[in-house]
Amino acid sequence: MKYELKIGWLYPELMSTYGDRGNIISLQKRCEWRGINIELIAIDHTRSDTHLANIDLLFGGGAQDIEQDIVMRDLRGKKAKAVHTLIEAEKPALFVCGAPQVMGKYYEPAVGKRIEGLGIFDMVTENPGPENPRLIGNTVASVRWGNLNIITTTSTQRKPIVGFENHGGRTRLGPNAQPFADVITGFGNNGEDKTEGVVYKNAIGCYFHGPLLPKNPHIADFLITRALEIKYQKSVTLSPLDDALEWSAHNAIVKRLGVGI
Amino acid sequence: MKNILLATILRILSFFLRVANLGNGTTWPGHLALKVNPHFIEEIIKEKHIIPIVVAGTNGKTTTARILQTILEASGKRVFQNDSGANLLNGIASTLILNSETGTEKSPLYAIFEVDENALPKLLKKISPKYLLLLNLFRDQLDRYGEVRTIAKHWQDSLLDSDTSIEILGNGDDPQIVGICTTLQQKIEYFGLTAGEKQTAEHTADSSYCPHCGAKLTYSSVQFSHLGDWKCPSCGLKRPKVFSEKISLPLFGSYNAYNGAAACLTALKLGLQRKTITTGLSRVTPAFGRQETFVRDGKNIQIFLSKNPTGMNESLRTIKELGGTYLLFILNDRIPDGKDVSWIWDVDIETLVRKDSRIFTSGDRAFDMGLRIKYAHPVIDHVDTHEILETAFNDILKSVPKEETLFILPTYSAMLDVRKLLTGRKIL
Repeated sequence: MKYELKIGWLYPELMSTYGDRGNIISLQKRCEWRGINIELIAIDHTRSDTHLANIDLLFGGGAQDIEQDIVMRDLRGKKAKAVHTLIEAEKPALFVCGAPQVMGKYYEPAVGKRIEGLGIFDMVTENPGPENPRLIGNTVASVRWGNLNIITTTSTQRKPIVGFENHGGRTRLGPNAQPFADVITGFGNNGEDKTEGVVYKNAIGCYFHGPLLPKNPHIADFLITRALEIKYQKSVTLSPLDDALEWSAHNAIVKRLGVGI
Repeated sequence: MKNILLATILRILSFFLRVANLGNGTTWPGHLALKVNPHFIEEIIKEKHIIPIVVAGTNGKTTTARILQTILEASGKRVFQNDSGANLLNGIASTLILNSETGTEKSPLYAIFEVDENALPKLLKKISPKYLLLLNLFRDQLDRYGEVRTIAKHWQDSLLDSDTSIEILGNGDDPQIVGICTTLQQKIEYFGLTAGEKQTAEHTADSSYCPHCGAKLTYSSVQFSHLGDWKCPSCGLKRPKVFSEKISLPLFGSYNAYNGAAACLTALKLGLQRKTITTGLSRVTPAFGRQETFVRDGKNIQIFLSKNPTGMNESLRTIKELGGTYLLFILNDRIPDGKDVSWIWDVDIETLVRKDSRIFTSGDRAFDMGLRIKYAHPVIDHVDTHEILETAFNDILKSVPKEETLFILPTYSAMLDVRKLLTGRKIL
């Protein structure tokens, strides 16, 4: 049977700060290489909530401040509700960089007024102002798969995630949100409690910005697998790919940061 | 006088250290001078009657400064400029130390300073250049410079506070630059290019939204990224009237056409004859690492410095036009390169590389670059990654047939590394 997935990309023009596109390219190629048909749908001001209803996997990248404002003026009402419905239906989603802030309860910038989010994640983000340093650098974290309802993990899944973070905002999770990962080196959500990102059902928020998936193929494959399982209502095992180069890039960062794993 | 004395002492010291091979003195003399006298730059410029011209922008600073210098020299003017690796205040002070000349009313002395985006406001606090060239603003090293709009805001605030006698020569094709300029008191003229063929802003476009009202801009033509003939349908801000005479320049690519236009407009403003300008333009040679060529073992090597998405896209576009199929990407992530290499995913490898090109990657982040190429499948179906450039370079070169050209796309520190391999000496 030929699988098909519809991947929704939130505001590709507005929410694409620094290589965020790498995640879409990763998902697209890893599906193509396995013969899974992909339809990529840009969810922007030209689309209505009905387009969101058919999405099997949702992705959102980071926006600069003005762009984030434009997004929030459009992503409301029926459209915001459609995102909620999709996440509640356990469809997988990935939000990187600034996108989780949009999906949280609110974001309070250093200057200007509080921006209300969609409230998908029980978390709030505050920017403590320019006198506090931005949290920048290469980072490694270990995934809490239990929060994604995976009880037994494969050796590949047990690998950490690597990436680069660059954020001014400090995020705190509420009681109804679980962290995505635990920081091994780096800052994570707020530089204090060692949590990184957020999980709700099959939606992942992650401060690692830009191309998270190319160097973390286990996360890409988790999203694809779960999207197929939800869509086709059966257990799915993806055919393996030659990921030697992916893991070389991954391991180079792990090694450089001196993380003993 | 004390500044001139200080400069002389530091110049002599720097000379001996260089002779003794203890360093080449690009920035430390300036660092010392500014420690002794924090007002060194502005005072010595005044004392020595130097006329400063400042070049700022994400891409093209070094080449534009070089083109302008070549034109000025062709017209017999006295002129010097700073090295691209010396574009912070230290480096500018060093340049002023290492140049011993003094200007007079009869024989003016011009100094062309290219300046780092973050250092421009600091420099403008000290000096009022005769001309300030604002070339463009693209995404570049987000970890160091922040968002494009943050830089634009800093420039704008700084210029609102600066001398109104500064004449600004801005890129009219860049909405972000025009957005800054239209709020200022200073006299402004614009340069640009005549209409191109493309109709829509590209993926890497950073400023396709109106800098004044935030509406989406419309383009009647696009050169590359967000540069072109643009208009805001909402507030009416649009590309101003630009100087866009066709000029002939021995450098490839429309990004260099912009650099040429900026230099040419400056030369005209300085009162140079068109004939002299044309002669000057014909004498331009590449700045180091910017389309610079080498021959090794009967093979040609051409270096295209590529340090941000727009820069790499334009390098690739030019290489594709030149028919290049042997490509070596060298991606480093040291401080001058920016520690974050995420930007490679904004490069349009899929459309800008010839199908079945032979591609190699190297540098600190050879595997990351390799992955970017791998995911451009099926345009490219193979990539060779080599972590250590020094040991791999000869093997890579062996894979290139004689008479063919190996095109090298390095980040900044990688460019210095590969030049060192090719010339046997270190430049900076």
